[in-house]
Amino acid sequence: MNSRERVLAHIAGQPVDRLPLMPITMMLACQGIGARYRDYCTDYRVLVEGQIHVAETYGFDYVNTMSDPAREAADCGAAIEYFENQPVAILEDQALLTEKTTLATLKIPDPLGGGRMHNGIRAIGLFKERVGNEKMVEGWVEGPIAEASDLRGINTLMTDFFDDPVFVKDLFAFVVEMELRFAREQIQAGADMIGMGDAAASLVGPQIYEEFVWPYEKQLVDGIHAMGGRVRLHICGNTRRILKGMGSLGCEVVDLDSLAALSDARQQAAPGQILLGNMNPVTILRNGTPELVTQVAAECHRQAGSRFIVGAGCEVPRDTPPENLRALCEYARHHAP
Amino acid sequence: MPDPKLLYDAVVSGDAKSSLAITQQALADGVDPLQLVNDYMVPAMDEVGRRFEANEYFVPELLISARAMKAALEVIRPLLVARGDKPVGRVAIGTVKGDLHDIGKNLVASLLEGGGFEVIDLGVNVPPEKFIEVINTRQANIVAMSALLTTTMPAMRTTIEALKKAGVRDKVKVLIGGAPITQKYADEIGADGYSENAVGAVALAKRAVAA
Ligand code: B12
Repeated sequence: MNSRERVLAHIAGQPVDRLPLMPITMMLACQGIGARYRDYCTDYRVLVEGQIHVAETYGFDYVNTMSDPAREAADCGAAIEYFENQPVAILEDQALLTEKTTLATLKIPDPLGGGRMHNGIRAIGLFKERVGNEKMVEGWVEGPIAEASDLRGINTLMTDFFDDPVFVKDLFAFVVEMELRFAREQIQAGADMIGMGDAAASLVGPQIYEEFVWPYEKQLVDGIHAMGGRVRLHICGNTRRILKGMGSLGCEVVDLDSLAALSDARQQAAPGQILLGNMNPVTILRNGTPELVTQVAAECHRQAGSRFIVGAGCEVPRDTPPENLRALCEYARHHAP
Repeated sequence: MPDPKLLYDAVVSGDAKSSLAITQQALADGVDPLQLVNDYMVPAMDEVGRRFEANEYFVPELLISARAMKAALEVIRPLLVARGDKPVGRVAIGTVKGDLHDIGKNLVASLLEGGGFEVIDLGVNVPPEKFIEVINTRQANIVAMSALLTTTMPAMRTTIEALKKAGVRDKVKVLIGGAPITQKYADEIGADGYSENAVGAVALAKRAVAA
Protein backbone atom coordinates (compact mmCIF):
# COMPACT_ATOMS: atom_id res chain seq x y z
CA MET A 1 0.00 0.00 0.00
CA ASN A 2 1.39 3.41 -0.90
CA SER A 3 1.33 6.56 1.23
CA ARG A 4 -1.90 7.92 -0.15
CA GLU A 5 -3.71 4.60 0.15
CA ARG A 6 -2.44 4.23 3.71
CA VAL A 7 -3.79 7.58 4.89
CA LEU A 8 -7.11 7.16 3.09
CA ALA A 9 -7.60 3.66 4.47
CA HIS A 10 -6.73 4.77 7.98
CA ILE A 11 -9.22 7.62 7.79
CA ALA A 12 -11.86 5.21 6.52
CA GLY A 13 -11.21 2.89 9.44
CA GLN A 14 -9.78 0.14 7.26
CA PRO A 15 -6.67 -1.87 8.10
CA VAL A 16 -3.28 -0.35 7.24
CA ASP A 17 0.22 -1.79 7.12
CA ARG A 18 1.69 0.79 9.51
CA LEU A 19 1.01 4.11 11.19
CA PRO A 20 0.64 7.04 8.78
CA LEU A 21 3.30 9.75 9.06
CA MET A 22 2.35 13.40 8.55
CA PRO A 23 4.60 15.87 10.41
CA ILE A 24 4.43 19.55 9.42
CA THR A 25 7.57 20.83 7.73
CA MET A 26 8.01 24.21 6.06
CA MET A 27 11.34 25.90 6.75
CA LEU A 28 13.04 22.51 7.06
CA ALA A 29 11.64 21.45 3.69
CA CYS A 30 12.93 24.66 2.15
CA GLN A 31 16.36 24.29 3.70
CA GLY A 32 16.54 20.73 2.37
CA ILE A 33 16.73 22.03 -1.20
CA GLY A 34 18.92 24.99 -0.30
CA ALA A 35 16.30 27.56 -1.28
CA ARG A 36 15.50 30.94 0.28
CA TYR A 37 12.43 30.87 2.46
CA ARG A 38 11.12 33.91 0.68
CA ASP A 39 10.99 31.90 -2.53
CA TYR A 40 9.33 28.99 -0.77
CA CYS A 41 6.51 31.35 0.21
CA THR A 42 6.15 33.13 -3.10
CA ASP A 43 7.00 30.56 -5.80
CA TYR A 44 4.92 27.39 -5.81
CA ARG A 45 7.58 25.51 -7.76
CA VAL A 46 10.08 25.98 -4.94
CA LEU A 47 7.52 24.90 -2.35
CA VAL A 48 6.59 21.80 -4.34
CA GLU A 49 10.24 20.91 -4.85
CA GLY A 50 10.97 21.30 -1.14
CA GLN A 51 7.94 19.31 -0.03
CA ILE A 52 8.52 16.42 -2.39
CA HIS A 53 12.16 16.33 -1.40
CA VAL A 54 11.44 16.23 2.32
CA ALA A 55 8.61 13.71 1.90
CA GLU A 56 10.81 11.39 -0.14
CA THR A 57 13.86 11.79 2.08
CA TYR A 58 11.97 10.90 5.24
CA GLY A 59 9.12 8.84 3.84
CA PHE A 60 6.29 11.19 4.83
CA ASP A 61 2.88 10.11 3.62
CA TYR A 62 1.87 13.55 2.43
CA VAL A 63 2.86 16.90 0.98
CA ASN A 64 1.44 20.24 2.04
CA THR A 65 1.13 23.81 0.73
CA MET A 66 1.44 25.74 3.99
CA SER A 67 4.24 28.30 4.20
CA ASP A 68 3.05 31.22 6.33
CA PRO A 69 -0.27 32.58 7.60
CA ALA A 70 -0.46 35.52 5.20
CA ARG A 71 -1.76 34.12 1.88
CA GLU A 72 -5.37 35.18 2.27
CA ALA A 73 -4.61 38.43 4.13
CA ALA A 74 -2.16 39.46 1.42
CA ASP A 75 -4.78 38.96 -1.28
CA CYS A 76 -7.26 40.97 0.75
CA GLY A 77 -4.80 43.84 0.59
CA ALA A 78 -3.24 43.64 4.05
CA ALA A 79 0.23 45.12 4.51
CA ILE A 80 2.74 42.31 4.68
CA GLU A 81 6.47 42.07 4.86
CA TYR A 82 8.76 39.61 3.10
CA PHE A 83 11.98 38.42 4.70
CA GLU A 84 14.88 36.57 3.11
CA ASN A 85 14.73 33.58 5.37
CA GLN A 86 11.67 33.97 7.57
CA PRO A 87 7.98 33.41 6.95
CA VAL A 88 6.00 36.26 5.41
CA ALA A 89 4.61 38.44 8.19
CA ILE A 90 1.49 40.56 8.47
CA LEU A 91 2.11 44.07 9.76
CA GLU A 92 -0.22 44.27 12.71
CA ASP A 93 0.24 48.01 13.27
CA GLN A 94 -1.13 48.58 9.78
CA ALA A 95 -3.89 45.98 10.03
CA LEU A 96 -6.33 46.09 7.14
CA LEU A 97 -9.34 46.35 9.43
CA THR A 98 -7.93 48.93 11.82
CA GLU A 99 -11.20 50.72 11.10
CA LYS A 100 -14.03 48.28 11.64
CA THR A 101 -16.11 50.00 8.98
CA THR A 102 -13.68 48.80 6.31
CA LEU A 103 -15.22 45.35 6.64
CA ALA A 104 -18.41 46.52 4.92
CA THR A 105 -16.49 47.39 1.76
CA LEU A 106 -13.99 44.54 1.84
CA LYS A 107 -14.35 42.25 -1.17
CA ILE A 108 -13.48 38.58 -1.09
CA PRO A 109 -10.46 38.25 -3.36
CA ASP A 110 -10.65 35.83 -6.29
CA PRO A 111 -8.55 32.81 -5.28
CA LEU A 112 -7.63 32.43 -8.96
CA GLY A 113 -6.78 36.10 -9.38
CA GLY A 114 -3.03 35.69 -9.62
CA GLY A 115 -2.27 36.44 -5.97
CA ARG A 116 -0.79 34.43 -3.14
CA MET A 117 -3.82 32.16 -2.85
CA HIS A 118 -3.52 31.37 -6.53
CA ASN A 119 0.09 30.46 -5.94
CA GLY A 120 -1.00 27.94 -3.31
CA ILE A 121 -3.57 26.47 -5.68
CA ARG A 122 -0.91 26.11 -8.37
CA ALA A 123 1.21 24.19 -5.88
CA ILE A 124 -1.62 21.70 -5.50
CA GLY A 125 -1.89 21.25 -9.26
CA LEU A 126 1.81 20.55 -9.50
CA PHE A 127 1.77 18.18 -6.51
CA LYS A 128 -1.08 16.30 -8.10
CA GLU A 129 0.86 15.96 -11.31
CA ARG A 130 4.12 14.92 -9.66
CA VAL A 131 3.10 12.74 -6.69
CA GLY A 132 -0.69 12.77 -6.72
CA ASN A 133 -1.02 9.01 -6.99
CA GLU A 134 1.44 8.20 -4.23
CA LYS A 135 1.16 10.93 -1.59
CA MET A 136 -1.74 12.65 0.12
CA VAL A 137 -1.93 16.19 -1.21
CA GLU A 138 -2.88 18.61 1.56
CA GLY A 139 -3.92 22.19 0.95
CA TRP A 140 -4.27 24.85 3.60
CA VAL A 141 -6.70 27.50 4.81
CA GLU A 142 -6.56 29.75 7.85
CA GLY A 143 -9.30 29.13 10.38
CA PRO A 144 -11.82 31.81 11.40
CA ILE A 145 -10.07 33.26 14.45
CA ALA A 146 -6.60 33.01 12.91
CA GLU A 147 -7.62 34.84 9.74
CA ALA A 148 -9.75 37.36 11.64
CA SER A 149 -6.65 38.10 13.75
CA ASP A 150 -4.61 38.59 10.60
CA LEU A 151 -7.10 41.08 9.19
CA ARG A 152 -8.00 42.97 12.35
CA GLY A 153 -4.79 42.63 14.40
CA ILE A 154 -4.67 39.93 17.02
CA ASN A 155 -4.33 42.28 20.01
CA THR A 156 -7.38 44.24 18.91
CA LEU A 157 -9.51 41.22 18.08
CA MET A 158 -8.97 39.88 21.58
CA THR A 159 -10.75 42.89 23.06
CA ASP A 160 -13.39 43.02 20.28
CA PHE A 161 -14.95 39.90 21.78
CA PHE A 162 -16.09 42.07 24.68
CA ASP A 163 -16.48 45.40 22.93
CA ASP A 164 -18.28 44.49 19.74
CA PRO A 165 -19.43 40.88 19.44
CA VAL A 166 -21.59 41.72 16.43
CA PHE A 167 -18.57 42.95 14.51
CA VAL A 168 -16.63 39.84 15.45
CA LYS A 169 -19.37 37.60 14.11
CA ASP A 170 -19.62 39.60 10.88
CA LEU A 171 -15.87 39.34 10.47
CA PHE A 172 -15.87 35.59 11.11
CA ALA A 173 -18.68 35.15 8.59
CA PHE A 174 -16.65 37.04 6.00
CA VAL A 175 -13.64 34.87 6.73
CA VAL A 176 -15.59 31.63 6.44
CA GLU A 177 -16.95 32.62 3.06
CA MET A 178 -13.50 33.55 1.81
CA GLU A 179 -11.89 30.38 3.13
CA LEU A 180 -14.62 28.24 1.59
CA ARG A 181 -13.93 29.78 -1.82
CA PHE A 182 -10.23 29.19 -1.35
CA ALA A 183 -10.85 25.60 -0.21
CA ARG A 184 -13.11 24.91 -3.17
CA GLU A 185 -10.42 25.85 -5.66
CA GLN A 186 -7.85 23.79 -3.79
CA ILE A 187 -10.09 20.74 -3.88
CA GLN A 188 -10.80 21.31 -7.54
CA ALA A 189 -7.07 21.47 -8.18
CA GLY A 190 -6.73 18.06 -6.57
CA ALA A 191 -6.26 18.50 -2.82
CA ASP A 192 -7.20 15.30 -0.96
CA MET A 193 -7.30 17.12 2.31
CA ILE A 194 -7.43 20.69 3.59
CA GLY A 195 -5.43 21.70 6.62
CA MET A 196 -7.18 24.33 8.70
CA GLY A 197 -4.86 26.32 10.95
CA ASP A 198 -6.59 28.23 13.72
CA ALA A 199 -3.68 29.10 16.01
CA ALA A 200 -5.24 32.04 17.83
CA ALA A 201 -7.96 29.73 19.17
CA SER A 202 -5.50 28.62 21.85
CA LEU A 203 -5.50 32.13 23.31
CA VAL A 204 -9.18 32.21 24.22
CA GLY A 205 -11.02 30.27 26.90
CA PRO A 206 -13.85 27.80 26.47
CA GLN A 207 -16.59 30.45 26.61
CA ILE A 208 -15.29 32.56 23.77
CA TYR A 209 -14.30 29.44 21.86
CA GLU A 210 -17.78 27.99 22.08
CA GLU A 211 -19.67 31.20 21.38
CA PHE A 212 -17.52 32.75 18.68
CA VAL A 213 -15.02 30.32 17.25
CA TRP A 214 -16.48 26.84 17.18
CA PRO A 215 -19.65 27.68 15.19
CA TYR A 216 -17.57 29.22 12.39
CA GLU A 217 -14.99 26.44 12.43
CA LYS A 218 -17.91 24.08 12.12
CA GLN A 219 -19.31 25.94 9.10
CA LEU A 220 -15.94 25.77 7.44
CA VAL A 221 -15.51 22.06 8.15
CA ASP A 222 -19.02 21.24 6.98
CA GLY A 223 -18.53 23.32 3.85
CA ILE A 224 -15.29 21.54 2.98
CA HIS A 225 -16.96 18.19 3.53
CA ALA A 226 -19.79 19.20 1.25
CA MET A 227 -17.20 19.82 -1.48
CA GLY A 228 -15.86 16.32 -0.98
CA GLY A 229 -12.78 17.41 0.96
CA ARG A 230 -11.30 16.12 4.20
CA VAL A 231 -10.08 18.33 7.04
CA ARG A 232 -7.02 18.33 9.27
CA LEU A 233 -7.46 20.81 12.12
CA HIS A 234 -4.33 22.28 13.63
CA ILE A 235 -4.32 24.71 16.54
CA CYS A 236 -0.90 25.79 17.87
CA GLY A 237 -0.50 26.29 21.57
CA ASN A 238 -2.37 25.28 24.70
CA THR A 239 -5.75 23.86 23.72
CA ARG A 240 -6.42 21.98 26.94
CA ARG A 241 -9.65 23.83 27.60
CA ILE A 242 -11.15 23.53 24.14
CA LEU A 243 -10.38 19.91 23.28
CA LYS A 244 -13.97 18.81 23.47
CA GLY A 245 -15.03 21.32 20.86
CA MET A 246 -12.07 20.55 18.61
CA GLY A 247 -12.89 16.88 18.81
CA SER A 248 -16.52 17.36 17.87
CA LEU A 249 -16.13 19.36 14.65
CA GLY A 250 -16.10 16.20 12.57
CA CYS A 251 -12.60 16.77 11.19
CA GLU A 252 -10.96 13.68 9.75
CA VAL A 253 -7.79 14.54 11.68
CA VAL A 254 -7.25 16.63 14.80
CA ASP A 255 -3.59 17.64 14.97
CA LEU A 256 -2.64 18.56 18.52
CA ASP A 257 0.18 20.77 19.79
CA SER A 258 2.37 19.63 22.66
CA LEU A 259 0.77 21.83 25.34
CA ALA A 260 -2.37 19.71 25.53
CA ALA A 261 -2.25 15.99 26.29
CA LEU A 262 -3.26 13.39 23.70
CA SER A 263 -4.79 11.38 26.55
CA ASP A 264 -7.11 14.30 27.35
CA ALA A 265 -7.98 14.73 23.70
CA ARG A 266 -8.73 11.02 23.44
CA GLN A 267 -11.11 11.24 26.39
CA GLN A 268 -12.91 14.33 25.16
CA ALA A 269 -13.03 13.87 21.40
CA ALA A 270 -15.75 12.05 19.55
CA PRO A 271 -15.27 8.26 19.44
CA GLY A 272 -12.91 7.15 16.69
CA GLN A 273 -11.46 10.63 16.16
CA ILE A 274 -8.03 10.39 14.54
CA LEU A 275 -5.47 12.31 16.58
CA LEU A 276 -2.12 13.49 15.30
CA GLY A 277 0.84 14.77 17.26
CA ASN A 278 2.12 15.93 19.57
CA MET A 279 5.68 15.82 20.91
CA ASN A 280 7.24 19.18 21.73
CA PRO A 281 8.92 20.18 18.47
CA VAL A 282 11.65 22.11 20.23
CA THR A 283 12.51 20.43 23.52
CA ILE A 284 12.04 16.85 22.29
CA LEU A 285 12.40 16.76 18.53
CA ARG A 286 15.02 19.43 18.05
CA ASN A 287 16.92 19.34 21.34
CA GLY A 288 16.47 15.67 22.25
CA THR A 289 18.12 12.45 21.10
CA PRO A 290 16.82 9.77 18.72
CA GLU A 291 16.19 7.51 21.75
CA LEU A 292 14.13 10.19 23.46
CA VAL A 293 12.15 10.86 20.28
CA THR A 294 11.33 7.17 19.94
CA GLN A 295 10.29 6.98 23.56
CA VAL A 296 8.03 10.03 23.32
CA ALA A 297 6.53 8.84 20.03
CA ALA A 298 5.61 5.56 21.73
CA GLU A 299 4.03 7.49 24.59
CA CYS A 300 1.99 9.60 22.14
CA HIS A 301 0.84 6.43 20.42
CA ARG A 302 -0.10 4.87 23.75
CA GLN A 303 -2.16 7.92 24.74
CA ALA A 304 -3.85 8.33 21.38
CA GLY A 305 -4.55 4.64 20.79
CA SER A 306 -4.99 3.10 17.38
CA ARG A 307 -6.72 6.09 15.75
CA PHE A 308 -3.38 7.88 15.52
CA ILE A 309 -1.10 9.53 12.97
CA VAL A 310 2.55 10.23 13.73
CA GLY A 311 3.71 13.85 13.78
CA ALA A 312 5.11 16.54 16.04
CA GLY A 313 3.10 19.09 18.02
CA CYS A 314 3.75 21.79 15.47
CA GLU A 315 6.15 22.61 12.65
CA VAL A 316 9.38 20.60 12.78
CA PRO A 317 12.02 23.30 13.42
CA ARG A 318 14.40 23.86 10.54
CA ASP A 319 17.51 23.04 12.56
CA THR A 320 16.21 19.68 13.83
CA PRO A 321 18.96 17.05 13.66
CA PRO A 322 18.12 14.62 10.83
CA GLU A 323 18.68 11.60 13.09
CA ASN A 324 15.97 12.87 15.45
CA LEU A 325 13.45 13.38 12.68
CA ARG A 326 14.42 9.99 11.29
CA ALA A 327 13.66 8.41 14.67
CA LEU A 328 10.15 9.87 14.52
CA CYS A 329 9.68 8.46 11.01
CA GLU A 330 11.09 5.08 11.98
CA TYR A 331 8.51 4.86 14.72
CA ALA A 332 5.75 5.11 12.16
CA ARG A 333 7.49 2.69 9.82
CA HIS A 334 7.77 -0.02 12.47
CA HIS A 335 4.45 0.23 14.19
CA ALA A 336 0.95 -0.74 13.18
CA PRO A 337 -1.85 1.39 14.60
CA MET B 1 -19.78 58.17 46.40
CA PRO B 2 -18.43 54.90 44.98
CA ASP B 3 -16.27 52.85 47.30
CA PRO B 4 -12.68 52.80 46.01
CA LYS B 5 -12.73 49.09 46.72
CA LEU B 6 -14.89 48.81 43.63
CA LEU B 7 -11.79 49.74 41.64
CA TYR B 8 -10.45 46.31 42.43
CA ASP B 9 -13.56 44.68 40.94
CA ALA B 10 -13.55 46.95 37.91
CA VAL B 11 -9.97 46.00 37.06
CA VAL B 12 -10.48 42.29 37.70
CA SER B 13 -13.59 42.26 35.51
CA GLY B 14 -11.98 44.42 32.83
CA ASP B 15 -14.51 47.23 33.08
CA ALA B 16 -12.53 50.26 31.89
CA LYS B 17 -15.43 52.70 32.15
CA SER B 18 -16.09 51.95 35.81
CA SER B 19 -12.41 51.83 36.55
CA LEU B 20 -12.02 55.38 35.23
CA ALA B 21 -15.19 56.67 36.89
CA ILE B 22 -14.35 55.21 40.30
CA THR B 23 -10.82 56.55 40.10
CA GLN B 24 -11.99 60.04 39.18
CA GLN B 25 -14.51 60.05 41.99
CA ALA B 26 -12.01 58.72 44.53
CA LEU B 27 -9.48 61.36 43.55
CA ALA B 28 -12.15 64.06 43.82
CA ASP B 29 -12.93 62.74 47.28
CA GLY B 30 -9.31 63.23 48.21
CA VAL B 31 -8.09 59.62 48.19
CA ASP B 32 -4.32 59.46 47.72
CA PRO B 33 -3.54 58.42 44.11
CA LEU B 34 -0.70 56.15 45.12
CA GLN B 35 -3.00 54.40 47.54
CA LEU B 36 -5.41 53.64 44.71
CA VAL B 37 -2.58 52.02 42.81
CA ASN B 38 -1.07 50.08 45.67
CA ASP B 39 -4.19 49.06 47.55
CA TYR B 40 -6.53 48.24 44.69
CA MET B 41 -4.94 48.13 41.25
CA VAL B 42 -1.84 46.11 42.02
CA PRO B 43 -3.77 43.50 44.03
CA ALA B 44 -6.36 43.39 41.23
CA MET B 45 -3.72 42.66 38.59
CA ASP B 46 -2.23 40.03 40.90
CA GLU B 47 -5.62 38.37 41.02
CA VAL B 48 -5.93 38.59 37.24
CA GLY B 49 -2.54 36.93 36.92
CA ARG B 50 -3.56 34.23 39.35
CA ARG B 51 -6.72 33.50 37.36
CA PHE B 52 -4.64 33.28 34.17
CA GLU B 53 -2.27 30.79 35.76
CA ALA B 54 -5.27 28.79 36.96
CA ASN B 55 -6.78 28.68 33.45
CA GLU B 56 -9.77 30.72 34.57
CA TYR B 57 -8.73 33.74 32.55
CA PHE B 58 -7.32 33.71 29.05
CA VAL B 59 -5.64 36.29 26.84
CA PRO B 60 -8.81 38.32 26.05
CA GLU B 61 -9.64 38.68 29.76
CA LEU B 62 -6.03 39.65 30.53
CA LEU B 63 -6.09 42.32 27.87
CA ILE B 64 -9.32 43.94 29.02
CA SER B 65 -8.14 43.94 32.64
CA ALA B 66 -4.90 45.58 31.58
CA ARG B 67 -6.93 48.14 29.67
CA ALA B 68 -9.10 48.88 32.71
CA MET B 69 -5.97 49.39 34.78
CA LYS B 70 -4.50 51.71 32.17
CA ALA B 71 -7.67 53.80 32.06
CA ALA B 72 -7.25 54.53 35.77
CA LEU B 73 -3.52 55.08 35.44
CA GLU B 74 -4.04 57.73 32.77
CA VAL B 75 -5.62 60.01 35.34
CA ILE B 76 -3.41 58.96 38.23
CA ARG B 77 -0.02 59.30 36.55
CA PRO B 78 -0.13 63.06 35.89
CA LEU B 79 -0.97 63.62 39.57
CA LEU B 80 2.00 61.58 40.70
CA VAL B 81 4.28 63.40 38.29
CA ALA B 82 2.90 66.79 39.37
CA ARG B 83 3.65 66.17 43.00
CA GLY B 84 7.12 64.97 42.15
CA ASP B 85 6.74 61.24 42.77
CA LYS B 86 9.49 59.51 40.86
CA PRO B 87 8.66 56.39 38.89
CA VAL B 88 9.98 53.23 40.54
CA GLY B 89 12.19 52.77 37.51
CA ARG B 90 12.35 53.38 33.81
CA VAL B 91 11.94 50.31 31.61
CA ALA B 92 12.80 49.98 27.94
CA ILE B 93 10.78 46.98 26.76
CA GLY B 94 10.61 45.29 23.40
CA THR B 95 10.34 42.03 21.49
CA VAL B 96 13.75 41.15 20.10
CA LYS B 97 14.90 41.43 16.53
CA GLY B 98 13.24 39.03 14.09
CA ASP B 99 10.34 38.34 16.43
CA LEU B 100 6.86 39.79 15.98
CA HIS B 101 5.02 38.22 18.93
CA ASP B 102 3.88 40.98 21.25
CA ILE B 103 0.87 39.86 23.28
CA GLY B 104 2.98 38.72 26.23
CA LYS B 105 5.26 41.73 25.96
CA ASN B 106 2.28 44.11 25.99
CA LEU B 107 0.94 42.49 29.13
CA VAL B 108 4.27 42.76 30.86
CA ALA B 109 4.47 46.43 29.83
CA SER B 110 0.99 47.15 31.20
CA LEU B 111 1.67 45.46 34.50
CA LEU B 112 4.97 47.27 34.90
CA GLU B 113 3.11 50.53 34.41
CA GLY B 114 0.60 49.45 36.98
CA GLY B 115 3.50 48.68 39.30
CA GLY B 116 4.70 52.27 39.09
CA PHE B 117 7.35 51.99 36.40
CA GLU B 118 7.70 54.35 33.49
CA VAL B 119 7.58 52.14 30.43
CA ILE B 120 9.13 52.93 27.09
CA ASP B 121 7.63 50.40 24.71
CA LEU B 122 9.85 49.90 21.67
CA GLY B 123 7.43 47.48 20.02
CA VAL B 124 8.47 44.37 18.11
CA ASN B 125 11.49 43.41 16.03
CA VAL B 126 13.71 45.68 18.13
CA PRO B 127 17.41 45.76 17.18
CA PRO B 128 20.06 46.15 19.92
CA GLU B 129 20.85 49.73 18.83
CA LYS B 130 17.32 50.80 19.74
CA PHE B 131 17.74 49.61 23.32
CA ILE B 132 21.11 51.34 23.56
CA GLU B 133 19.67 54.57 22.24
CA VAL B 134 16.92 54.60 24.86
CA ILE B 135 19.34 53.85 27.68
CA ASN B 136 21.39 56.85 26.59
CA THR B 137 18.70 59.32 25.69
CA ARG B 138 16.02 58.47 28.23
CA GLN B 139 18.02 57.02 31.10
CA ALA B 140 16.22 53.70 31.14
CA ASN B 141 17.57 51.61 33.98
CA ILE B 142 15.88 48.35 33.03
CA VAL B 143 15.94 46.60 29.68
CA ALA B 144 13.15 44.04 29.30
CA MET B 145 13.27 41.71 26.32
CA SER B 146 10.67 39.25 25.10
CA ALA B 147 11.14 36.40 22.60
CA LEU B 148 8.69 33.68 21.58
CA LEU B 149 10.73 31.88 18.97
CA THR B 150 13.67 29.61 19.54
CA THR B 151 15.18 31.21 16.46
CA THR B 152 15.04 34.69 18.00
CA MET B 153 16.19 33.78 21.51
CA PRO B 154 19.84 34.27 20.49
CA ALA B 155 19.02 37.93 19.78
CA MET B 156 18.84 38.37 23.55
CA ARG B 157 22.45 37.31 23.87
CA THR B 158 23.42 39.56 20.97
CA THR B 159 21.65 42.49 22.58
CA ILE B 160 23.44 41.96 25.89
CA GLU B 161 26.77 41.80 24.04
CA ALA B 162 25.88 45.02 22.22
CA LEU B 163 25.05 46.72 25.52
CA LYS B 164 28.50 45.74 26.78
CA LYS B 165 30.20 47.01 23.65
CA ALA B 166 28.37 50.30 23.93
CA GLY B 167 29.51 50.57 27.54
CA VAL B 168 25.99 50.72 28.98
CA ARG B 169 25.59 47.22 30.36
CA ASP B 170 26.34 48.41 33.90
CA LYS B 171 23.73 51.15 33.74
CA VAL B 172 20.84 48.72 33.42
CA LYS B 173 19.38 45.49 34.69
CA VAL B 174 18.41 43.14 31.90
CA LEU B 175 15.24 41.08 32.34
CA ILE B 176 14.06 38.52 29.85
CA GLY B 177 10.99 36.40 29.25
CA GLY B 178 8.76 34.64 26.73
CA ALA B 179 7.55 31.06 26.38
CA PRO B 180 10.83 29.37 25.33
CA ILE B 181 13.00 31.23 27.86
CA THR B 182 14.23 29.51 31.01
CA GLN B 183 16.16 30.61 34.09
CA LYS B 184 19.02 28.48 32.83
CA TYR B 185 19.12 30.43 29.59
CA ALA B 186 18.99 33.73 31.45
CA ASP B 187 22.01 32.66 33.51
CA GLU B 188 23.84 31.46 30.42
CA ILE B 189 23.58 34.75 28.59
CA GLY B 190 24.18 36.88 31.68
CA ALA B 191 20.72 38.41 32.03
CA ASP B 192 19.85 39.73 35.48
CA GLY B 193 16.49 38.08 35.75
CA TYR B 194 13.79 35.93 34.22
CA SER B 195 10.14 35.41 34.99
CA GLU B 196 7.71 33.05 33.36
CA ASN B 197 4.76 35.43 33.66
CA ALA B 198 3.80 39.08 33.75
CA VAL B 199 2.99 39.28 37.45
CA GLY B 200 6.38 37.79 38.21
CA ALA B 201 7.93 40.32 35.86
CA VAL B 202 6.82 43.21 38.10
CA ALA B 203 8.24 41.60 41.25
CA LEU B 204 11.43 40.93 39.32
CA ALA B 205 11.72 44.50 38.13
CA LYS B 206 11.14 45.82 41.65
CA ARG B 207 13.88 43.59 43.01
CA ALA B 208 16.15 44.68 40.20
CA VAL B 209 15.86 48.39 41.00
CA ALA B 210 16.15 47.76 44.74
CA ALA B 211 19.40 45.84 44.32
C1 B12 C 1 -0.30 34.37 18.64
C2 B12 C 1 0.86 33.64 17.99
C3 B12 C 1 1.36 34.17 16.79
C4 B12 C 1 0.86 35.45 16.17
C5 B12 C 1 1.53 36.62 16.93
C6 B12 C 1 0.70 37.89 16.98
C7 B12 C 1 1.20 38.86 17.99
N1 B12 C 1 0.89 40.11 17.75
O1 B12 C 1 1.83 38.54 19.01
C8 B12 C 1 1.37 35.32 14.69
C9 B12 C 1 0.27 34.69 13.85
C10 B12 C 1 1.81 36.60 14.02
C11 B12 C 1 2.49 34.31 14.86
C12 B12 C 1 3.48 34.15 13.92
C13 B12 C 1 4.47 33.18 14.00
N2 B12 C 1 4.59 32.23 14.96
CO1 B12 C 1 3.52 32.20 16.56
N3 B12 C 1 2.43 31.84 18.02
C14 B12 C 1 1.42 32.47 18.57
C15 B12 C 1 0.86 31.66 19.76
C16 B12 C 1 -0.41 30.94 19.29
C17 B12 C 1 0.53 32.46 21.04
C18 B12 C 1 1.66 33.33 21.62
C19 B12 C 1 1.07 34.21 22.69
O2 B12 C 1 0.70 35.35 22.43
N4 B12 C 1 0.87 33.69 23.91
C20 B12 C 1 0.18 34.36 25.00
C21 B12 C 1 1.13 35.25 25.82
C22 B12 C 1 0.35 35.91 26.96
O3 B12 C 1 2.13 34.43 26.38
P1 B12 C 1 3.71 34.78 26.28
O4 B12 C 1 3.99 35.53 25.07
O5 B12 C 1 4.48 33.55 26.58
O6 B12 C 1 3.94 35.82 27.49
C23 B12 C 1 3.89 35.50 28.86
C24 B12 C 1 5.22 35.04 29.45
O7 B12 C 1 6.05 34.36 28.54
C25 B12 C 1 5.84 36.26 30.03
N5 B12 C 1 6.69 37.11 29.20
C26 B12 C 1 6.62 37.42 27.90
N6 B12 C 1 7.53 38.30 27.54
C27 B12 C 1 8.24 38.63 28.64
C28 B12 C 1 9.28 39.51 28.85
C29 B12 C 1 9.85 39.65 30.12
C30 B12 C 1 10.96 40.60 30.33
C31 B12 C 1 9.34 38.85 31.19
C32 B12 C 1 9.96 38.96 32.52
C33 B12 C 1 8.27 37.98 30.99
C34 B12 C 1 7.72 37.86 29.72
O8 B12 C 1 4.72 37.02 30.44
C35 B12 C 1 3.61 36.83 29.55
C36 B12 C 1 2.32 36.89 30.33
O9 B12 C 1 2.25 35.94 31.36
C37 B12 C 1 2.04 30.66 20.06
C38 B12 C 1 1.60 29.31 20.60
C39 B12 C 1 1.37 29.41 22.07
N7 B12 C 1 0.15 29.28 22.51
O10 B12 C 1 2.30 29.68 22.80
C40 B12 C 1 2.72 30.56 18.69
C41 B12 C 1 4.24 30.30 18.61
C42 B12 C 1 4.96 31.17 19.62
N8 B12 C 1 4.56 30.75 17.24
C43 B12 C 1 5.39 29.97 16.65
C44 B12 C 1 5.86 30.14 15.32
C45 B12 C 1 6.79 29.06 14.79
C46 B12 C 1 5.47 31.26 14.56
C47 B12 C 1 5.87 31.55 13.10
C48 B12 C 1 7.32 31.28 12.75
C49 B12 C 1 4.88 30.73 12.26
C50 B12 C 1 5.08 30.77 10.78
N9 B12 C 1 5.66 29.72 10.25
O11 B12 C 1 4.67 31.71 10.16
C51 B12 C 1 5.53 33.05 12.96
C52 B12 C 1 6.73 33.93 13.29
C53 B12 C 1 6.49 35.40 13.13
C54 B12 C 1 7.64 36.18 13.73
N10 B12 C 1 8.66 36.50 12.96
O12 B12 C 1 7.62 36.46 14.90
C55 B12 C 1 5.84 28.85 17.56
C56 B12 C 1 7.25 29.05 18.12
C57 B12 C 1 8.06 27.75 18.08
C58 B12 C 1 9.38 28.00 18.67
N11 B12 C 1 9.55 27.61 19.91
O13 B12 C 1 10.23 28.57 18.04
C59 B12 C 1 4.71 28.80 18.62
C60 B12 C 1 5.15 28.30 20.01
C61 B12 C 1 3.65 27.85 18.04
C62 B12 C 1 4.16 26.43 17.95
N12 B12 C 1 3.73 25.53 18.78
O14 B12 C 1 4.95 26.11 17.12
N13 B12 C 1 2.37 33.62 16.01
